[in-house]
Amino acid sequence: MKNSIKLIVIFCTAIIFVTANMAMAQKAGGPWTVPAKYKAMKSTVKAGDASINTVGKEAFNKHCKSCHGAKGLGDGPKAANLKTSTGNFSAAKFQAQADGDLYYMSFIGRDEMPNFEKKITDEADRWAVIGYIRTLKK
Amino acid sequence: MKKIYKTLNFSALTLFALLTVNSTTFAQEEATADTVVQEKPVDKPVRPAFESGLLFDNATTTLYPAKTLEFVLQHRFGIIDTKDNNYDMAGIYGAANIRIGLNYSITKNFAFGAGTMKFNKMTDLQFKYRAIEQTRSNSIPVTIVLYEVVGIDGNKENKWDQNPATDGTSTFKFANRMSYFTQLIVSRRFNDQFSLQLAGAFTHYNRVDSVYDHDRVSVSFAGRYKFSPQMSIVLSGDFPLDIKPLYDFKKASTASTVIYNKPNLCAGIEISTSAHAFHIYVASAQGILPQESTMWNKNDFFHGGILIGFNMTRLWNF
Repeated sequence: MKNSIKLIVIFCTAIIFVTANMAMAQKAGGPWTVPAKYKAMKSTVKAGDASINTVGKEAFNKHCKSCHGAKGLGDGPKAANLKTSTGNFSAAKFQAQADGDLYYMSFIGRDEMPNFEKKITDEADRWAVIGYIRTLKK
Repeated sequence: MKKIYKTLNFSALTLFALLTVNSTTFAQEEATADTVVQEKPVDKPVRPAFESGLLFDNATTTLYPAKTLEFVLQHRFGIIDTKDNNYDMAGIYGAANIRIGLNYSITKNFAFGAGTMKFNKMTDLQFKYRAIEQTRSNSIPVTIVLYEVVGIDGNKENKWDQNPATDGTSTFKFANRMSYFTQLIVSRRFNDQFSLQLAGAFTHYNRVDSVYDHDRVSVSFAGRYKFSPQMSIVLSGDFPLDIKPLYDFKKASTASTVIYNKPNLCAGIEISTSAHAFHIYVASAQGILPQESTMWNKNDFFHGGILIGFNMTRLWNF
């Protein structure tokens, strides 16, 4: 009888933990609505440009790494406190998005993703960041 | 000497007015040129020479985009006491100085700030104006900034007048509390890693004790070497100049040396993130405000006059 009670207690505790974890789990961000103006944008920094691994990498480390992680896997130290998953930049699905889409998502932002227009003010520097994000593809 | 200071102040204001008018004129010309010749390449300014508007005890030539609010927290622990065995844990338990302040960028070239500090209960108002900005083409090789700090000593009146008369004949005036620090800073970003700035400054205290000077001319330097995307090694120094003919007490004094003025040296690291800058370093001056460090520092960096300092800044964009 005592063992049965123990089992019930353990089972209930497990249910509570699982339910609580499900409630706290991060949800995937919904689809982005990118205005046509941004969709049409093309990067002014070509792949392999020197600025990607200097300016782009530096700005990524300074502004993005704390949430998105050093390799863009969404495992930065602040990521766990967010309600929305920060995504995986190395994934083929993410990398398949157009330059303009990435620009809008990176610098205009929405909800928990802040606007970075005043942090990275130079247009070429922004494209260097997008160029660096492109190098995170696996 | 007050006349000299007034003249310098007037000159600084005139320079400031001229530069403002000049910038406006340039801006209009560029706008007109853009509308006529669309293909004209824009000579962009370089990226900021420093990560923050503050570098240890020095202001830098870095200004933030318009409508940026910066919160600054500056802390200097007590002197690291190696002789007296005071158990002060490298100065951490010693008498500390602390300042909190806010700076707001009204335009991309002009910021205004205010703060308050523990030592002398000093409240300060300050502004920073960027007159010239270094360009990527090197057509303008340096950035030049005018920096002004006005300090208001918050001590009780008896600091200046020990026996204040009750019949209205006290010698104390509100102006006695005022001190001024005017600095011209010239910086150059040499590459992504290395930046250097040099500065010349004039400090004036309206009222000091009889054995001290009202004025001090000084030069400063600050340099950073960025060894990772977020971390830099920084060295800086402020050197009061011994120009006897300029200083009223020194000029009149028959003493061979007046030793109350020492350079302020700093060495440490800077860590910068998207919205923060952190400085942790060793320094010799505890004054925090530049006029206090320049005029009153008695600590000798190389003879036991070292303390630990740190700064933290937080930015908000509107």
